[in-house]
Amino acid sequence: MSSYLPLEGVRVCDFACVWAGQTATMYLADLGADCIKVENPYVWNPATRAAAPVLPAAAAAMIPPWMGGHPNGDPGPRPWNNSPAFIHVIRNKRSFTVDSRRPEGLAVVKSLIAISDVIAENLARGTLEKLGLDDDAIRAARPDIVILHLPAYGRTGAYVEGRGYGAHIDGVAGSTILRGYRDSAPETNVQTFAGDFFVGMHGGLAMLAALRHRRRTGRGQTIELAQAECSASMFPQAALDAAWNGRASGSIGNRSTEGFAPNGVFAARGEDRWLALSCRSDGEWRALVDFLGRPAWATAPGLETAEGRRAAQDAIEGELAAFVAARDRDELFRDLQAAGVTAGPVLSAKDVTEDAHASQSPAFHRLEATEDYPATEFPAPSFTFSRSDVTLRTPPALLGEHNDYVYRELLGVSAEEFARLEADGHISTTYADEILGR
Amino acid sequence: MTADAATPTALDGITVLDLTAHIAGPYATKLLADLGARVIKVERPGGDPIRGFGPWLGDEPGIERSGSHQFLNTNKESIVLDLKSTGGREVLDRLLPRADVVVTSYPPAVAERLGLTPDAIREAAGVNVLSLTNFGWNGPYRDYALSETVLYAMGGEMYSHGSIGREPLKMGGTASLVQCGAMAAIGALGAVYTTEVHGITQRVDVSLFDVQLNSVDRRSSAIMAYRFSGRVNSPPVVAGPSTGAGVVGVFPCADGYVEMTASAGPYWHRFAEMIDRPDFKEPKWSDPAWVRSPEAREEVDVALYPWLAERTRAEVWEAAREAHAILAPLFTATDLFEDPVFRERGLWTEVEHETLGKFPMLGRPYALSETPWAIRRAAPLLGQDTDAILDEAGYDAAGIAELRRTEAVA
Repeated sequence: MSSYLPLEGVRVCDFACVWAGQTATMYLADLGADCIKVENPYVWNPATRAAAPVLPAAAAAMIPPWMGGHPNGDPGPRPWNNSPAFIHVIRNKRSFTVDSRRPEGLAVVKSLIAISDVIAENLARGTLEKLGLDDDAIRAARPDIVILHLPAYGRTGAYVEGRGYGAHIDGVAGSTILRGYRDSAPETNVQTFAGDFFVGMHGGLAMLAALRHRRRTGRGQTIELAQAECSASMFPQAALDAAWNGRASGSIGNRSTEGFAPNGVFAARGEDRWLALSCRSDGEWRALVDFLGRPAWATAPGLETAEGRRAAQDAIEGELAAFVAARDRDELFRDLQAAGVTAGPVLSAKDVTEDAHASQSPAFHRLEATEDYPATEFPAPSFTFSRSDVTLRTPPALLGEHNDYVYRELLGVSAEEFARLEADGHISTTYADEILGR
Repeated sequence: MTADAATPTALDGITVLDLTAHIAGPYATKLLADLGARVIKVERPGGDPIRGFGPWLGDEPGIERSGSHQFLNTNKESIVLDLKSTGGREVLDRLLPRADVVVTSYPPAVAERLGLTPDAIREAAGVNVLSLTNFGWNGPYRDYALSETVLYAMGGEMYSHGSIGREPLKMGGTASLVQCGAMAAIGALGAVYTTEVHGITQRVDVSLFDVQLNSVDRRSSAIMAYRFSGRVNSPPVVAGPSTGAGVVGVFPCADGYVEMTASAGPYWHRFAEMIDRPDFKEPKWSDPAWVRSPEAREEVDVALYPWLAERTRAEVWEAAREAHAILAPLFTATDLFEDPVFRERGLWTEVEHETLGKFPMLGRPYALSETPWAIRRAAPLLGQDTDAILDEAGYDAAGIAELRRTEAVA
């Protein structure tokens, strides 16, 4: 093998859903694992392949772009194969379908588990158990398997029945309360999913760790990653200020947790053009003062130190706002950076596609058109390896695209049995009529 | 959580030479150290600047009392090297080939000046090198600076985060940098595994900008959506929670706030159960025309707001869990610290520090049944392991004394 994939030969039985779970397994797929998504034509997993299985263009248009912006505004007959929110997290994976609620389907799943090294899931609590796939059953099929569970708040304790998506878990993890305007209550906070991103990476990392132990000792293990707990590590400063000093941090708007001053986001000339700026040191402040032409307000005594500038933040921000408002965002960005000041434009999604630096970034990789989406740039792994083929190797797996591979090649199902499973609705490239409301 | 020497660790036997500073790099190597890798943290004279950032233990500043340092550098060893001195550089040259992976976060221009680009390190020592940079090694922004805020502005989905007409908002804390550290840790392990499985070494590059561009926190989706449909992800047109066509957003209750999603379908039914309004399950509540009407909205509002106002977050969350409603309280860090359920589960642990005594620390981000996450040692004192590491690298007492005298090490 010349592709030198770090996880060559590792197989993942992938029951992951939504973002946290699907990205956790995606990182293993990026590193070369044979990641097989287990999908059920009779079950619609919310927020896993699209907003809804039937999604007319008019309905998609009412959904925010990140979830509703399907190709040309029209999801077409298979929204699950072209959702902007989800299709790209199915890169480098395979997909096969099976109705695991029926005994013959469960047998298929167990035979896949028997030849897998990892099983990952973040389904609603109890879902796998209801299928008859608790940890003991999984281990009966594959004794040395690595099991990843990603519960919202843990598999033990009083919060086990808590249900939520990323936005809710961010609330408990302390993320939401920290990220509002200084002058308004959290009611205006917009939902974000920082925890999904963070948890997905940690899920990938935990599985990598467990796989190494297994490679060296032959022993599998169970990983429990409670999403709210993991996400708390995104905010160590707030956590330790609470634990050590009894202080409950609140929203500081765009001011700096690190004490940088000034630190903020200012309106530039034109509409919806914003510039972020940080003075990370006294030296950067001096560079900014020079850049501004050393106006009297900026050379006033006391502002040489961060402490002094923090005391005068309102006034400094007011002056900077006036300065930035009269100038072009991108010009100011480059001029400030050249002058040694940390600044950057707030790039919209559209801006990114036109940005000189982002356009040549290895973070994007062009894929050919399929029946479900046009040729365009897709997100690729965020790291580049100089010798291993860690990149976007195979396009996002369409629903059931790899049924042949899984049933025939991996599981050795006979042509006759394949035909029977297909006739019984296990093997499909679309959802069942009841899901599609037909 | 403590672990005795007999407990196996997942990354046992992996040595990481950590030349990074501040937040992203150290978080990457902390993740590896907490899973059992040996991480040698090379600090500049005076120490990693992160030691100058709070919060402070007992609100008292000091380079060993920094919460940022204590969190980011658990389980590591510290050696202080002046890489601009001949002696310091010679020590580094001895340490490089002993590592399974060298992790750097030098800006490209600095790395070039020091002769410590990934390729230079690889040429000298033949080891895996993971480099964390702001914008990669090429392109127009290569030498630009980043802060947590500017990183999220450019790389992340700040543009749609906030209220329409107001300035977009950053995330809390230094989240965008911590996130990048997690991605770098995956890259570093990928490199080490390739060595273990295939016997080769290589360089891995992680740019903070790229990590945020592909953040699944609406960024990768927003960019995908623009490419697919031409629609630009923007802040919501109306700020605040919505009770039309579903109850979605942040709502006040007796002692704080809760985040709720009760959109049409099963989630709406669970919401009806939670607030004990079975009539909300009647068919008209599935009719989009009705649920969007001002009358429907008023009916929901007069039921919901008083129900919430009479209950604490704990009471609301309990009712939600019973009904499986999609709802959670907004916790502060103090809430998280005091919460008995998370305490019992092990969200917090305690660190025994050589000079500061015991103090609480955030605990495991994941629980591995066979190779438990553990803090085996608090973050190191500045240069705590300098002598031991020099000894291991073959310096005798006289050699170490000479290095100290010339201030090449500390």
